Amino acid sequence: MELTFLPEKIILNKELNALDRFILDFTRILEKKKIRFVLISGYVTILFGRNRTSEDIDMFVEQLDFARFNDVWNHLIKKFECINTNDGDEAYHEYLAKGCSLRFSKKGSFIPNIEFKFPKIDLDTWTLVERKTVLLNKKQLFISPLELQIPYKLFLGGEKDIEDAKYLYSLTKEHLKVTLLQEFNKKLKTTNVFRKYLL
Amino acid sequence: MKTPPINLKELQRLKEENFQDRLRFLEKYAEWVKKTSNKTWSKQQRDLIE
Repeated sequence: MELTFLPEKIILNKELNALDRFILDFTRILEKKKIRFVLISGYVTILFGRNRTSEDIDMFVEQLDFARFNDVWNHLIKKFECINTNDGDEAYHEYLAKGCSLRFSKKGSFIPNIEFKFPKIDLDTWTLVERKTVLLNKKQLFISPLELQIPYKLFLGGEKDIEDAKYLYSLTKEHLKVTLLQEFNKKLKTTNVFRKYLL
Repeated sequence: MKTPPINLKELQRLKEENFQDRLRFLEKYAEWVKKTSNKTWSKQQRDLIE
């Protein structure tokens, strides 16, 4: 794998799959609107080559006021549909503002869909602030720092999650900040499962 | 219909063995991806997923 780890970004060039293209199409609109986002969870593993797909892609989006949300909503719904509602006002006030996520898919499709949500807890905000840039075929994406992503997968604890953590760690261990990884393992109480399955 | 006896501890052990086997496979797969060109592994991934 030709994967370049730089302090500020990871560079990856590859054959794009349908999920990559779907996400790039969606995030291009957020980028144009200068909306900060970060991709988390399963897609990060798929991005780096794990052979599985996902019905939903989780994303944190910076807290937006209604005017900014409505602006991006009007652009998103030209190409995507919101599964929860087709009304922007309801999407904001009845979902996002109440801590619920929105799901966007391509028009006429139900899956895959992007789970679009505001950060709820400090850890979510940290992920958004400390997001890592990935240049995928020269297009910009942002992912959760792997030093959090791996322990968080262990924290979720399902077999699929531990497998994702194993794959990501095996692939990137030489590039990870060990102290940060250890700190998240400690905070999430995943040190033992990390030692058991990943080392 | 008569059903077989189930030893849950044995079943749990087999589940864990299967899981460990899957983890070993993923470690090997990650090693393969690391030494394989992006064009090769990502084409295989695309063909499998789509």
